[in-house]
Amino acid sequence: MKRVFGTPVVEYVPALVMVAVTIAYLATAYTYSEQARLFPVPVGWLMLLLLALDLVSRTKTPTGEALTRLLNPAAEAEGAESRFPLLRQLSALLWVAFFTAALVLIGIMYAVPLYIFGSMRFHGKKSYLTSLITAVCVTVFTWLLFGFALQVELYPGMLFSEF
Amino acid sequence: MLEVWFSGFASLLHPEVIAFLILGMGIGLFVGVLPGLGGTTALALLTPVTYGLEPVAALALAGGVMGGVPMGGAVTAILLNTPGQTANAVTCLDGYPLAQQGKAGLAIGAAASANAIGGIIGTISVLAVLPVATDLVLAFGPPEFFLIALLGLVLVATTTRGKMLRALVAGVFGLMIASIGYNDVTGGQRFTFGIEYLWDGVHLAPALVGLFAVAEMMHLSIKGGTIAKSDSDIQVTGMAAGLLEAFKHWGTILRGSLIGTAVGAIPGVGVTVASFLSYSMTVQASKDPDSFGKGNIKGVIAPEAAINAKDCAALIPTLAFGLPGGAEMAVFMGILILHGMQPGPLILMQHQSEIYSLIWALTASCIMASFVGLMFARPLAKLTRIDTQLLAPVIIALSLVGSYAIDMVIENVILSAVFGVIGYLMIRFDYPRITLVVALVLAALAERNYHQSMLMGDESWSIFFTRVPSAVLVVFVLFSIASPFIRAYWRKPAAVGATSG
Repeated sequence: MKRVFGTPVVEYVPALVMVAVTIAYLATAYTYSEQARLFPVPVGWLMLLLLALDLVSRTKTPTGEALTRLLNPAAEAEGAESRFPLLRQLSALLWVAFFTAALVLIGIMYAVPLYIFGSMRFHGKKSYLTSLITAVCVTVFTWLLFGFALQVELYPGMLFSEF
Repeated sequence: MLEVWFSGFASLLHPEVIAFLILGMGIGLFVGVLPGLGGTTALALLTPVTYGLEPVAALALAGGVMGGVPMGGAVTAILLNTPGQTANAVTCLDGYPLAQQGKAGLAIGAAASANAIGGIIGTISVLAVLPVATDLVLAFGPPEFFLIALLGLVLVATTTRGKMLRALVAGVFGLMIASIGYNDVTGGQRFTFGIEYLWDGVHLAPALVGLFAVAEMMHLSIKGGTIAKSDSDIQVTGMAAGLLEAFKHWGTILRGSLIGTAVGAIPGVGVTVASFLSYSMTVQASKDPDSFGKGNIKGVIAPEAAINAKDCAALIPTLAFGLPGGAEMAVFMGILILHGMQPGPLILMQHQSEIYSLIWALTASCIMASFVGLMFARPLAKLTRIDTQLLAPVIIALSLVGSYAIDMVIENVILSAVFGVIGYLMIRFDYPRITLVVALVLAALAERNYHQSMLMGDESWSIFFTRVPSAVLVVFVLFSIASPFIRAYWRKPAAVGATSG
């Protein structure tokens, strides 16, 4: 993997993304009245300062290493989870995204079994039977806990909603 | 005062409340044995469920969980050398060698006694300190409350196990998120970009469900596997002897409990510090320090007593000042807010009965969990054989459905999922989540009091230095920020001395 100042590029990504988010945040804050931006503006500038320090501390330069020793002695230089394959991490993130989309579109009673079965079978590599039984049990439990015991009207999904 | 204590106790004595207390304790024991789950995740997961409950029942459920988790964590620390919670890591040092010598039951029994007694001593301290804290809080004005919020954030950041800079980044990110929505001072909307759901700001409960329950489960599903590798790892015998063994070392229990209480009363200093401090002081006080780490029963008793005492004492800053001592307390504050109880000065006056019910519930849970933990040590240990590929999707599904159930709006689910991804990325890139949560909780208090202070001081920051309580708090804030530098300065000569020696 490509390295900049001795550190893999990917390790700078979160701080750089946050710099972009903070600039957008500050730009929006300056459009508000003086009273309304009294708190967000210093918060935004403080964030930029901290992110600059964070970026420098991630480098393998003498300044970066000194900053890490002083402010982040226990932090892991290349991310706590970098040992796990990127595809596996992406798969876990995508399954949560899929489940969220399914909940919104087809509702709780269809999304829950679909997600449990799919995630266990294809991400967790469990057998079809184990995945199916777990999916059915969790769906029944969901209905019993939320629908029956707590009297929650379970979301039917945008596609099946009357509204 | 006694009347309030008894009224709090009496409100616990309803079958429904007792049932939720027992349920919470059972859940606490269950999640306590599973590393990666823990009290924070369990409370985040249960937050939506508590919404439909009466406040006392909800607090009994939460108190049950908080009381049950440490005992569950001790079981796996002793049997598998795998602490359920980071605080139980110290218990491994002598608990696991005892288990290897065939004395797992002795160690679990001693841990159970230490847990129960630690919880009782912690409760006594809370009952003694809370009334005094109420008077102290009443003497504070807006500048002091702003500085307390700032101090809470800085303390949590500086004590986040050597990651002060990243903790501060996460904390300020939390302040940015918290500025979304309706602004108390101007009455206008900020950063909502036309999304009606965000008018009330980022909803705390779904955000916490995402940050802890969803993110932790994603983390576990990526790691995969089971915690215990075989059934032979989880054998237990001779627990009754261990139960009595703890009483032979009452000095160790008392010292551990007092250390836990003192640490718990300081916001931001985690339970892990309490258990390590208690252990190291017990080693220093021992006539045979070399026996520690090889299976000394005091090495199990000392940290376990400190853990439960700390959990009870952590209620002092959480309730009186609205300063959560750790992630678990921050999530617990979310439950209080969900039930209309804003932690801080008013809660001690407006919700006295509920708060004392909670204290009793937490104590009862500590005691019950110790005994139930003993009875069910074997089946509890078997939970560590559950495959994380089964556990993770089930918990994620229940978390997101629970998030919807809070206000029955589907946007809650999207918010939880977004915060789940943020939480996982924070784990992945090593940013502590606790400061983000503390900022989400404290931001409104900080901003409101900052505005009021500016009005009081004619737009001048001198208001923070001209009042004695404010000036003292400013010194605390500056000292907290400077503490890593001071530590580094002290460490250098010591290191040089060690090298030259």
